[in-house]
Amino acid sequence: MRFLALLPLVFALHGATLTPERKQSNLNSFEYVWTTIRDKHWDKSLDGAEWKAVHDELQPKMEQAESMEAARRVLNEMIGRLHLTHFGVLPGDVYSELHGGAEGMDVRIINGRAILVRGKHQGWEVEGVQEAIAKVEKLYEHSTMRELMVSRAVAAWAGAHEVTLSNGHGERVTPELSEFAQHGEPTTFGNLPTQYVWSESRHIGNAGYFAFNMFFDPGRLIPALAASVGECGKCTGFVIDLRGNPGGIGAMAMGMAGFFIQQQGELLGTMQMRDNALKFAINPRVPAFTQKLAVLVDGLSASTSEIFAGGLQDLKRARVFGSPTAGAALPSVIERLPNGDAFQYAIANYVSQSGAVLEGKGVKPDVEVRPNRASLLAGKDDVLESALQWIKRPL
Amino acid sequence: MDKEAPVTPVLLFALLLFAPEDLPKGEDVLAKFVEVTGGRAAYEQIRGSIAKGTMTISGQNLKGTMTIYESAPAKQVTLVEFPGIGRMEEGTDGTIAWSNSFLEGARLKLGEEKAMAMRAANSQAKFLNWKKLYKSVETMGVEDVDGKPCYKVVLTPLSGKPDTEYYDKASGLLVRETATVPLPMGEVPVALTLGGYRKEGDLLMPHTLQQSLAGQRIDIEIDSVAINPEFSPKRFEPPAEVKALLK
Repeated sequence: MRFLALLPLVFALHGATLTPERKQSNLNSFEYVWTTIRDKHWDKSLDGAEWKAVHDELQPKMEQAESMEAARRVLNEMIGRLHLTHFGVLPGDVYSELHGGAEGMDVRIINGRAILVRGKHQGWEVEGVQEAIAKVEKLYEHSTMRELMVSRAVAAWAGAHEVTLSNGHGERVTPELSEFAQHGEPTTFGNLPTQYVWSESRHIGNAGYFAFNMFFDPGRLIPALAASVGECGKCTGFVIDLRGNPGGIGAMAMGMAGFFIQQQGELLGTMQMRDNALKFAINPRVPAFTQKLAVLVDGLSASTSEIFAGGLQDLKRARVFGSPTAGAALPSVIERLPNGDAFQYAIANYVSQSGAVLEGKGVKPDVEVRPNRASLLAGKDDVLESALQWIKRPL
Repeated sequence: MDKEAPVTPVLLFALLLFAPEDLPKGEDVLAKFVEVTGGRAAYEQIRGSIAKGTMTISGQNLKGTMTIYESAPAKQVTLVEFPGIGRMEEGTDGTIAWSNSFLEGARLKLGEEKAMAMRAANSQAKFLNWKKLYKSVETMGVEDVDGKPCYKVVLTPLSGKPDTEYYDKASGLLVRETATVPLPMGEVPVALTLGGYRKEGDLLMPHTLQQSLAGQRIDIEIDSVAINPEFSPKRFEPPAEVKALLK
């Protein structure tokens, strides 16, 4: 089980005649998915007759399913009755191909190529990964999470193959594996798995800059942001870089937003749980930073990153730069089904202060800027540069 | 023929069986609690206390140390330290009520939340002079808590929503409280189960508290209680982050 942003609905690619054991595991999976939605969905009305009717209608279809593909079609038809995009069943083999590998590799797809966006080989292409990219792009063709999942697939592929990088000008290298190892401090938080957390704080001209790889390790990250903001008393602007940040502990969004909000009673949004609604209330810090605030995002910014960026954009406190986010804002759980597939379901709904739903839509930047390979090779960062230009302009 | 049903001896017996029992007044239930936990004189001697223990958020596998400082009347500070993660504290000096967390920052409690914090810090008054804090204290019935019949007592504060408390009929001890806590995140129903009563000085006190809050279970174990300790004059001052909000 793993907490993550949400996966959309995807379908199996192939099937084969099933053994009696396999058929039974599909029936067990059907019951598991149906019961989980009934008992854990934030809308309690799903424990009523309508959801039971869905069970009774589709259960015979599952009994008749003669291939994994057919079984997944039934599962996805059941989930599809929710008319929500963020519940899904993912084939077990594909699920494995989207996790692990070179998890420290920071890669984006630029013009169909896997390009490293940070580190020693910024701007270099990961060669030989086209097939893996195409497979996942097809699965996520219509999803806002396409960029996120493709990037994960590249990292997973790189963990299982010898990687060759090229700079597009005839140079090729085989990098050390350590180049793509996770960096940062290994951190645990309760039951959650160990995560490697890093942050970067600096001044760029008259602007403050703070980047961090995930909303985790609040004991270190929040004091680090406090120090960064504190040292920026005379700055004309501040940049929070959430590119590649998949989210993490939701409450940190409130705690970090407080450094940029003066007004009491502001909300980033509201999370509707099964038994109650939780408002993401911001506690203003004293003194709060009141100058221009830019938030950088991209297709790998998900979950708590979207709540933070979308909430501050909604409050007209931040200007958002970059590319649309992953549209995966809801807290969710992924569990293995008895048949080996992965079942992901959300345990809450989330809307921003203005009522905007982030799930399946993402945060749309105020200024859309995408990374450019030539700039990356030249050591530049077009998205950051765009934000800094805005900060420099007089109000 | 007389259409009125006759009251047969069997029916009369059944009616007697199901007749509502005479419920004690709410204030008598509170008085009984005072009596069984040490008596009014013992309570009146308490000027302050320091309780030390642990807090565990079971579902998250988070465990921290907890210290509760109390000084009568109505001063309280609770500190929780999660090693390697951070510190959470909340309190009242009798005038303001506040919260300060490594995760969410500092804030002043206002309105109903403040009133609730002030009442919680003044539990002695609840038992010795409930009219200071509540409009009414009523016994509403008998309900089982963990298989034991308890008096259900509803305490309606001077302002805000009522709290409900359950007192074991046999022992007179307070075993459960339920309330709706008005937080900035929304109104959150909270249930607190109290147990592990044992003597600290002249008073019988609960040492295990199990809180259910927004689907999370929080277990508090009190290891020690120091009665009437000396406090630094600054003990109940709010932290700097909260003072900054007052400027």
